[in-house]
Amino acid sequence: MAARRVGVSSWHRVLSLSGRCGRCSSTNTALGKTVENSEDAREEIVLPRRKTWDKLAVLQTLASTVKRDPTAAHYMFQDDPYLMPRNSATARLFSLSKESGRNAAKYIIKEFPHFFDKILAEPNIPSLMPEICTPQIEGVNEEALKERINLRMVKVSVDLFDQLLQAGTPVSLETTNSLLDLLCFYGDGESTQEKESKEKEDLEESEVNASEQETPKRPPQRGLHPSASRWRENNNAERIFKIMPERNAHSYCTMIRGMVKHGASAKAYDMYTELLNDRHKADVHTFNALIAAVPFLKDRFLERWELIKMFLNHMAQQEVQPNVRTFNAVLKTLRRCGGVGRSMAVPVIKEMEALEIEPSLATYDHLLSIFYRTADLAPSSIISEVLDDVEKRSFTPQDPDDARFFISAMQVCCDLKDIKLAYRLNKAMEKGDNWKFLDMDRLNSYWSRFFSLLCMMEQIDVVLKWYKEMSPSLFYPSPKNILDLLQALDAANHLEVIPSVWEDMKQLGFSKRRDLLEELLSLMSRDQHPEEIQLAFAKCAEDIKTVHEQSGKDQAPVEWTGSALGSVTVVFSRAGRIQDAWSMMERFQQINRIPTELVMDEFLNCAKQTNSPDEAIKLVKLAASLGLPSSQKLQSRIEKEFELSEDQKKALESIQSDSDSSDDSDRD
Amino acid sequence: MKVEVTTKRKFQQLKEQEIKKQATNEQEGLNSESSTFQNTAEDVQRSKPLHPELVQAASAVASSFPRSKEQAESELLAQLRRHEETTDKQRRGGTINIRNVISEMAVKRQSPAQRGVRISNRISLEMDEDGQRIKPGRPSSRSFDSGRSLKAGKRLNIFTKASPETENALKTVSSPTIWDLEFAKEIAAVTEQPPRNGFEEMIQWTKEGILWEFPIDNEAGMDDDAEFHEHIFLEKHLKDFPKQGPIRHFMELVICGLSKNPYLSVKQKIEHIEWFRNYFEEKKEFLQEI
Repeated sequence: MAARRVGVSSWHRVLSLSGRCGRCSSTNTALGKTVENSEDAREEIVLPRRKTWDKLAVLQTLASTVKRDPTAAHYMFQDDPYLMPRNSATARLFSLSKESGRNAAKYIIKEFPHFFDKILAEPNIPSLMPEICTPQIEGVNEEALKERINLRMVKVSVDLFDQLLQAGTPVSLETTNSLLDLLCFYGDGESTQEKESKEKEDLEESEVNASEQETPKRPPQRGLHPSASRWRENNNAERIFKIMPERNAHSYCTMIRGMVKHGASAKAYDMYTELLNDRHKADVHTFNALIAAVPFLKDRFLERWELIKMFLNHMAQQEVQPNVRTFNAVLKTLRRCGGVGRSMAVPVIKEMEALEIEPSLATYDHLLSIFYRTADLAPSSIISEVLDDVEKRSFTPQDPDDARFFISAMQVCCDLKDIKLAYRLNKAMEKGDNWKFLDMDRLNSYWSRFFSLLCMMEQIDVVLKWYKEMSPSLFYPSPKNILDLLQALDAANHLEVIPSVWEDMKQLGFSKRRDLLEELLSLMSRDQHPEEIQLAFAKCAEDIKTVHEQSGKDQAPVEWTGSALGSVTVVFSRAGRIQDAWSMMERFQQINRIPTELVMDEFLNCAKQTNSPDEAIKLVKLAASLGLPSSQKLQSRIEKEFELSEDQKKALESIQSDSDSSDDSDRD
Repeated sequence: MKVEVTTKRKFQQLKEQEIKKQATNEQEGLNSESSTFQNTAEDVQRSKPLHPELVQAASAVASSFPRSKEQAESELLAQLRRHEETTDKQRRGGTINIRNVISEMAVKRQSPAQRGVRISNRISLEMDEDGQRIKPGRPSSRSFDSGRSLKAGKRLNIFTKASPETENALKTVSSPTIWDLEFAKEIAAVTEQPPRNGFEEMIQWTKEGILWEFPIDNEAGMDDDAEFHEHIFLEKHLKDFPKQGPIRHFMELVICGLSKNPYLSVKQKIEHIEWFRNYFEEKKEFLQEI
């Protein structure tokens, strides 16, 4: 009986999970009931309570069955194979362009709503329809003002407010406060301006991030006050504030918050003293803003800490309960307080614990920055304790700075060169929703650093496994990563993987980077390798040669350097490709460089192998023309090892005599 | 301010401890190393004269020697002086022999690691924007850092945890201001990720209302208060009409048409029927004649 009951309910589940079958739910229960009735008429039928599923339940279940494909790019790029990004710069560009396309479409719908008024879908989809942003209420009254404030029209609201005041109608305190809110938030600019500047800042920040991939340490002063000093003297907010007949705590608070947001920290502090004089109480957000503004009010570390303590004491006196953002603001300010910050950070954390406030990721981020600022002061117990806490929880965002945690933690692991901590951190990131804190740029830099650490510390097969799994679907290796990978291969003596690394380099678009090419070529040409590997290397070298020679549109070809040329020649020689090697040798004169001994020896070896004494003689001629001292040695070597015909012997001697005469002429 | 003073004192204490340690080291008889310095110190100290009786006794002993009387005498005298000095020192106890200490200290070199640390401390000082150089405090604060842990430590003791009642009282309900709305948007944007596969994209679209909700509900978006039978079975509204006759026939046709009409609401259908009733009521006189 139990089995049958289970069977019926599981059949319910099967029916409901089939998703797209489109059957009405009432028919489900009807069928279920009839089945039950026919099967089991005698016993008491207890109908199971109908389960109500969330509208997203089916889709979420289906989504959980799909894992990441390690060979494909991110889903948002899967459209046209030509448009798949190859490296991190193009990935960012494509995602931003996709977003900007969407924004352009939204802009068109907003600007020309009369083209989009036909409702074709049934039922109507409001999110795709143009939204009504024009105010409906006309006239000079308070309702109209409230509506315009709701629609976030800054200038219009201010004008209407002035009109109301001139007409003599009193505006209620609440409406004035909401107008002040609007003005302080937007800092006297318009709401669209704010969005545009924010986007520009995002772009700039991401560009800076790109350049910082080479130097992972962030400069300490960056990004502290993006909207600095945009608070003009006596702007609308201040003016309205001054002419207000009565003010309450909310007015003061919103003014303080606005001033801090737009960089007028000193004024914010004065406003706070005014608030205290009027015997009002500030709220927790105001205090958070004031604490965040402390670095701009004082310079000395101890003074900053004293000011923070003063604010906290005021909070306690005014019976304002701090929240997690209060403590995050304190720690953020302590980051800029050097040694004082280090000694005071732990008591702040203890206070948080005592008040039973759960720390957010931003808390941990600030802690790591305080204690791991310089490379030598490194108490490693802090990071393991932080990781202990982070591993246990799946975090929800509570502070905009939360997203920086994983990056800074990975940076600390790289500095400490501790691979176990890095593994723990990675596991913590994959837990629950924590992965969502890393957006595309941050994900790239996070994995970049992790991969560098892996290359340094782990065995080569582990490194290669991670490499195959993670790139290019999750992150795009940076040039530094490729260098690290090459060094790791070198250390583990796995140089046969180099041709596939070269393929990846070409795909990533690094094929013109001089440092990578030098490293690659020197690794290939350093030692003698078995036959197939040499042939593969030679193919690689040929590719590199074409890179150096082709001039793409508007691009100057990569210049040959002496070492690169020599390495290519050596690789060709070892693979037995004498003609290619000779063409390389000819180029030496073009770039005014001299081939080294090794190069010439290898060339001769190759000539001997392929039995081409002509080439050998050409080499000696070249050496003589360049006036190299080793030409004699080469000549003797040729005479010993090669079977020369009469003509060749004569040619050889003539070279020698030429060189002798040129030597004599030099001596004179 | 407070921090500075205590660290200075600490450093002085450390310095004194160092000096004491070195003095005790010396007293334990460093005969092997840097004996030359000791000797020079002793040479300097030789200005203190010995007891005249001792000198005479020493010379008497020396004269009893068979050869090199002067050498023996000088040796004996030197040994006596050494005895004097050690007794003096030990009588004085832990007082510091500055010259020895300094000479000792001059020999030792600063280890490169220490120098590196001091330089890096200086560099980090320069990076920190503090106007004052808390240089003397640096070595002592470093010793604190190495043992720092998040578990051990005292709290600030500024706040007290509010009891739940006061917490509830403090939570005042007010409509969210623009600050709150924008902050909520910012927070939501922190963990916003583009969809990773087609299903997540469909989830996003369903949330926005672009995609239909599965299983498909025929009546999605239709807000009709009445059930289907109220639309179709409209005979009960014909109660007031005559049961037979052409009017009834006509009304039944009207009802048939209305029941097939999906565009009118039930109210509108009832209004239709009402209108017909009123119309026929008015025309009753004419109809009676028929």
